[in-house]
Amino acid sequence: MRLTDILLWLFTAAFFVFMLLPILVVVVISFTSAGYAAFPIPGWSMKWFARIFEYQPFIDSLIVSLELAVVATVASCLLGIPAALYLARSRSGWATAITTFLLSPLSMPMIVIGFASLFFLSALGFGVSFLALCIVHTVICLPYVIRTVTAVYRGISPAYEEAAMILGASRFTTFREVTLPLIRPGIAAGCLFSFLTSFDNLPVSYFFGSAQTNTLPVVMLAYMEHQFDPSIAALSTLQLLLAVVALIVADRLYGIEKMTVAT
Amino acid sequence: MSDTVSSFAARHRRSLLLAPALIFLAVFFVMPLFDNSLRSFAPEEGSGFTLARYAAFLTDRFYLGVIVETVVLSAAVAAISVVIAYPVAYVLVRKSGRFSGMIVFMLIAPLLTSIIMRTFGWQVLFARRGLVNQWLVQDLGILDAPLRWLNTPGLAIAALVHVLVPFAVLSIASVLQGVDRRLEEGALMLGASRWRAFREVTLPLTMDGIGTGAILVFMIANGSFVTLVLLGGGFQTLPLLIYQQFNTTRDFALASTMSTILLVIAVGCLWLQLRLVRRQGV
Repeated sequence: MRLTDILLWLFTAAFFVFMLLPILVVVVISFTSAGYAAFPIPGWSMKWFARIFEYQPFIDSLIVSLELAVVATVASCLLGIPAALYLARSRSGWATAITTFLLSPLSMPMIVIGFASLFFLSALGFGVSFLALCIVHTVICLPYVIRTVTAVYRGISPAYEEAAMILGASRFTTFREVTLPLIRPGIAAGCLFSFLTSFDNLPVSYFFGSAQTNTLPVVMLAYMEHQFDPSIAALSTLQLLLAVVALIVADRLYGIEKMTVAT
Repeated sequence: MSDTVSSFAARHRRSLLLAPALIFLAVFFVMPLFDNSLRSFAPEEGSGFTLARYAAFLTDRFYLGVIVETVVLSAAVAAISVVIAYPVAYVLVRKSGRFSGMIVFMLIAPLLTSIIMRTFGWQVLFARRGLVNQWLVQDLGILDAPLRWLNTPGLAIAALVHVLVPFAVLSIASVLQGVDRRLEEGALMLGASRWRAFREVTLPLTMDGIGTGAILVFMIANGSFVTLVLLGGGFQTLPLLIYQQFNTTRDFALASTMSTILLVIAVGCLWLQLRLVRRQGV
């Protein structure tokens, strides 16, 4: 091996230590037996996971976050899949412009979306409510579904649908029996990104905080400002576990390669 | 279809598929941002239109400093991310072989963790009696006394780079993947050194990846505030000030002005990004 190669590999190794160390430390601390957050830990225990379930605001906000992520993901699919079906088969200039517009929420600062939406939705009478949260989360989740479904559908030859139509299938039957099964990996990837984005979002949810609408990240942030104990680590570990499980399930069902085509 | 009239009708019926998403985003994405900008132009009393806030903002030394600091911080994070990301992307595309799956996994895994989790990790690692100080003082003996890391600008920048550098790696890797290896080999055969072949062939061919990666990182850094709220560092940036205005000062018109400025920067970045993507012909 040449010297430059050795240096490159050393640099890459250092890079991944930098990337993974802060995360691994939190995972380890979530199993600490100590009453404080420090590394290395004096002993192992599960008590901080138990503590999560004793602290009511964590549980309440976890339920809000899960419901919110599901609603935002379903709404994104209902709005996004039809648009993606159209955009994937259209090559005109204005279709590109519309795609850019539909994906643009990804590029706008979240804090601005959150702040602006709070005032706008209050003026409409939604105020700080679960419905308002659902609307804003759908705005930031929708682009993921559109992007993944468009990419997957674009890679599928129109010949399959044409064949179904020639054989006498109606438009709806063609969609249900041919198109839908083919774009399923794209929908799965879109749902996965959408769910994780909503579940993890802090900068938008922050503006819609109230006893009934506090999401888990908002409650964790508030908790961290007053206390620094390992329950935040335990919650983070659970959250990471959820994300990894979702990723593995999606991989088993559709294959991660097929899904990353879309990103 | 033989009948052009019905095909025309069918085509337009198809475009109805776009309607739900377009209407939804027009109402709940464009209108709020528009409404927010309007608020920044509204005078304190009565109705009308005023540029007073922008004039005040752009002449006040403090606020001008905030804009500069926001842009400089994001640019610094983008530059550091790209410099760190390039060798990693190079290893991933050209050298990793059977390890490439593992490298991609290690790159994606941090993206699945929350900002709160990473910040918590940084706070533990760099606490006064944390792991890093322990290494430096006791194990390696480099320092005599533990250093104060938390609330320093350096640590805040490192934490921002940590969040954003995977995006830079992925942007550069995707462009590097498309660069024909034979071009570099050709330069080598013609007698160029490995460094020269890299500098004069591969690097220029991947400039677009560096550009898209840098803009992407810059854009996200520009809007981020959670890391800066939790890790300190003494920065005064636009998102941080919006956050403070919302929480304490409650001057919403000023916050609207700041978010509109932030929005204009974001739209500028989006425009640049699109130009780069077009040039790549994707």
